[in-house]
Amino acid sequence: MVLAAVLLMTGMMLAQIYLPPAPPPPAQYGRVILDSHAVRSPGPVVFDHWLHRSKFTCRLCHVDIGFAMTANSTGITQESIRQGYHCGTCHDGKRVVEGNVVFAACQSDQPGPACDRCHAEGKRGVRKYDYNSYTAKLPKTAHGVDWMLAEERGLIRPADELAGFAPAKPKMPVRGDFGITTGLNWVHPVLFSHEKHAVWNGCELCHPEIFATAKKSEVQYSMFSNLEGHHCGACHLKVAFPLNSCAMCHPRAPLWAQQ
Amino acid sequence: MNIVLRAKVVVCLLAGFVATGALHCVAQSGAQGASPPAAQAPAREVWQREFDRICSRTQEAMSFSEEELASLVQRCDALAPQIEKLDETRRKVYLGRLHMCRGLYAYVLESKRNQKK
Repeated sequence: MVLAAVLLMTGMMLAQIYLPPAPPPPAQYGRVILDSHAVRSPGPVVFDHWLHRSKFTCRLCHVDIGFAMTANSTGITQESIRQGYHCGTCHDGKRVVEGNVVFAACQSDQPGPACDRCHAEGKRGVRKYDYNSYTAKLPKTAHGVDWMLAEERGLIRPADELAGFAPAKPKMPVRGDFGITTGLNWVHPVLFSHEKHAVWNGCELCHPEIFATAKKSEVQYSMFSNLEGHHCGACHLKVAFPLNSCAMCHPRAPLWAQQ
Repeated sequence: MNIVLRAKVVVCLLAGFVATGALHCVAQSGAQGASPPAAQAPAREVWQREFDRICSRTQEAMSFSEEELASLVQRCDALAPQIEKLDETRRKVYLGRLHMCRGLYAYVLESKRNQKK
């Protein structure tokens, strides 16, 4: 009886550890607060991934433009933006995206209302776009917009190039999808879409920084490492669909049920 | 109207036609210059052209031979000191990108060598 209780408790504890934390509401999921701590800063920047990812691939911003994958580690400054780098790559008041001229960022030397559009932390009514109205026509899951489905349906067409900034790249050959079997036969195997990941991320966003070794058998990762923000968790804990969406990665039945 | 006068009229008309065409060309080139910055191709420095040549090929990395990949890694290493001399912003942006390009080529090279074992 005691043994059964101990086993039950252990199982429950392990299950708790494996369970990802509940993600924030969809409007706030992928939100990054950028605080430069500059003396004359008009306050922290609120960056919502949902707006930009509907227009651009992850690769474009995180590889070509050079935004780091963790907040406040890129080294963005007003000067770098004015020079046409980081946010200023697009936000220069000249570049046209989807028929609209992108507003110029960080042009004023004095903090003022123009700054609040990005430096919005703690300020109400200063953002131009609202999540609910902006994503109203996009397909949703329980955890927010289903970006892959939105792209498949042609509702979004994320750009992968910025003319005049980085050279055009040849189209990537299609990389085959593959299954990843897990070490435990009660865990549903993963179906990994190399094609989908490569189209959005290119190669160098994942290799070798996130998945470091080229030997398949040497890549050791688990839900533990994912939950710590490594491997799949580098994106699927913060921006890409959250780890709670189990069936998105584990669509098949566990091995014991496939017999 | 005598022949000389006719000839002068024809010459004037031709000159006017040529001048109009020339002005049209000038206006066209001016319009192109005023188009969005994306259409303007700013002169790229030598290091930047080498950077473009190296890092625009990452999508094809898997199709390169070991020799090509090793050469690309070497070119990355040769380019890094030139980028380190740039101003802070460009150094940050381009060294970061170069690091990613080099990392990928080295990764694919290692992968190909592992496949042979």
